[in-house]
Amino acid sequence: MNRTALITGGSRGLGRAVADFLAAQGYGLVITARGDGELEEAARALRRHGGAVVALAGDVAEPAHRRQLARAVADLGRLNVLVNNASTLGATPLPPLVEYPLDQLEEAFRVNVAAPLALVREVLPLLQASGGLIVNVSSDAARGGYPGWGGYGITKAALDLASLTLAHELSGVGVVAVDPGDLRTRMHQAAFPGEDISDRPLPEVTLPFWAWLFGQPREAVTGRRYQAQADRWEVAA
Amino acid sequence: MKKAEFDFDRPRALQADGPPERRGLERDEVRLLVSTESGHEHARFRDLPRFLAPGTLLVVNTSATLPASLPARHPGLGPVLANVSTCYGGGLYLVEIRWSASEPGPLPLEVDDALEIAGLPARLIAPHPGLPRLWFVRVESDLRQAMERSGSPIRYGYLEAPYPPIEAYQTLFARQPGSAEMPSAARPFTARVVDALRAKGIELAGVTLHAGVSSHEIDAEEVEEQVLYAEPFEVPQRTAAAVTAARREGRPVVAVGTTVVRALESAWEGDRVRAASGFTRLLIHPGRPVHSVDGLITGLHDPPASHLAMLYAIAPQEMVHAGYAEAVREKYLWHEFGDSHLLLGRAA
Repeated sequence: MNRTALITGGSRGLGRAVADFLAAQGYGLVITARGDGELEEAARALRRHGGAVVALAGDVAEPAHRRQLARAVADLGRLNVLVNNASTLGATPLPPLVEYPLDQLEEAFRVNVAAPLALVREVLPLLQASGGLIVNVSSDAARGGYPGWGGYGITKAALDLASLTLAHELSGVGVVAVDPGDLRTRMHQAAFPGEDISDRPLPEVTLPFWAWLFGQPREAVTGRRYQAQADRWEVAA
Repeated sequence: MKKAEFDFDRPRALQADGPPERRGLERDEVRLLVSTESGHEHARFRDLPRFLAPGTLLVVNTSATLPASLPARHPGLGPVLANVSTCYGGGLYLVEIRWSASEPGPLPLEVDDALEIAGLPARLIAPHPGLPRLWFVRVESDLRQAMERSGSPIRYGYLEAPYPPIEAYQTLFARQPGSAEMPSAARPFTARVVDALRAKGIELAGVTLHAGVSSHEIDAEEVEEQVLYAEPFEVPQRTAAAVTAARREGRPVVAVGTTVVRALESAWEGDRVRAASGFTRLLIHPGRPVHSVDGLITGLHDPPASHLAMLYAIAPQEMVHAGYAEAVREKYLWHEFGDSHLLLGRAA
């Protein structure tokens, strides 16, 4: 049976690049994003590889939408990879942490931490049945302490710890956190409004990493945090 | 560093078109150029122990070479050659598709193209970012078995027929199959050389780095921006401890091959080498100093190759330049079956 993946934030940027890479390899896909038109356009392009692509527009922070995604995955019959990629940058332009609007901080936690965790809960049995892999997309902001990136960064630091904890708690499934590095994406542009970000690489620069990650035995990578643009990716020695 | 700084003229005739055995030489009878701060000496590889101090640690690559060149067929282009660079697992391989051993392409290939590699259905997934000649290819079956059945060693246009069998590509230290191309620096080693080294108090330790296809020259104007593809590597605990101990005790560490330098540097942390396993694409160049080794045994590299950037990181640039001038003047032979070069940097 074909392998399948569920990718959130799959209509553009990094999520779309990973979706495209997996679709070309014959993975069946369930993708989601908030924007309806862009998502449909992405789904049409992904289907050109010949595989099944289910595109469901919605907000991963909404429980009803997550259940919808889980049903779509169940209809495909199996799940090998969950990529929790959808994120919100939070308040923009990026405010200093001491001035951060708390309602927006809570919202960022809902999208960047609670939603990925809840999605894992929804699809866990299928992932465990296939010995699958959970990928939580993190950021160097989770560690850098960069001025302005505090709100986003602490949600990603929380996601990193959630990934590590899940890796220790869950059996039959791998969990990794992945910092994709700076990329020329709309989210990155939103963090640098009006600035030229054309020196950042396109998301496809990370494909060798994904090729490597999805080829590894789950037990070799689980509990690890990777930098997709780093010059090495290690497993337990 | 600019690409031009890695350029020099190598006369076309100075290349080994086959194994030295065909020229009537034993493996350890190829020439050895020894470059140190005090100058350059010419010897045979068999004389290697003479140039290494007792207590030196030699680190070798234990990767064995695969018959990684497979016949392939593209529906629109006809017969082509699939040189399998690296196995990624999950049925995914990084492959260079060429017209033939002597004609690299580029070929008009597209994502989703279906082709047959050694008779097996395969599909082009995506080109490697920054290295458009290399493709991620999905194959349902195991290409390792296909290699055993119908593979031959990867070769390029400069080799003359009859082409050497895969055995000619295995070094004395080859244990784990996985390299697309021979880790050739260790090819001149023979049992008698190893015995002579041990008798002099020179120990050997192993790392594994499965070398991919060598056709990734320095294209970027700035060497530091060169894109490399990742290669599987492993530094075992015993080797990590041996290298760390030698560093601490001030004993020289000499890498046999640029692959060994890449593996050890990938496992360098602070003031020691740790056990490590994974994929590495670490680019070693003069702006990124080498910590784990003092010297290198290697073949002679063509410009502009990323290997030369590594040489400059190990030995002073003038030493490398002068050494290469000597090699050209004395008619050393380039390429995987050619002559050998021992570079001892500042400390060794």
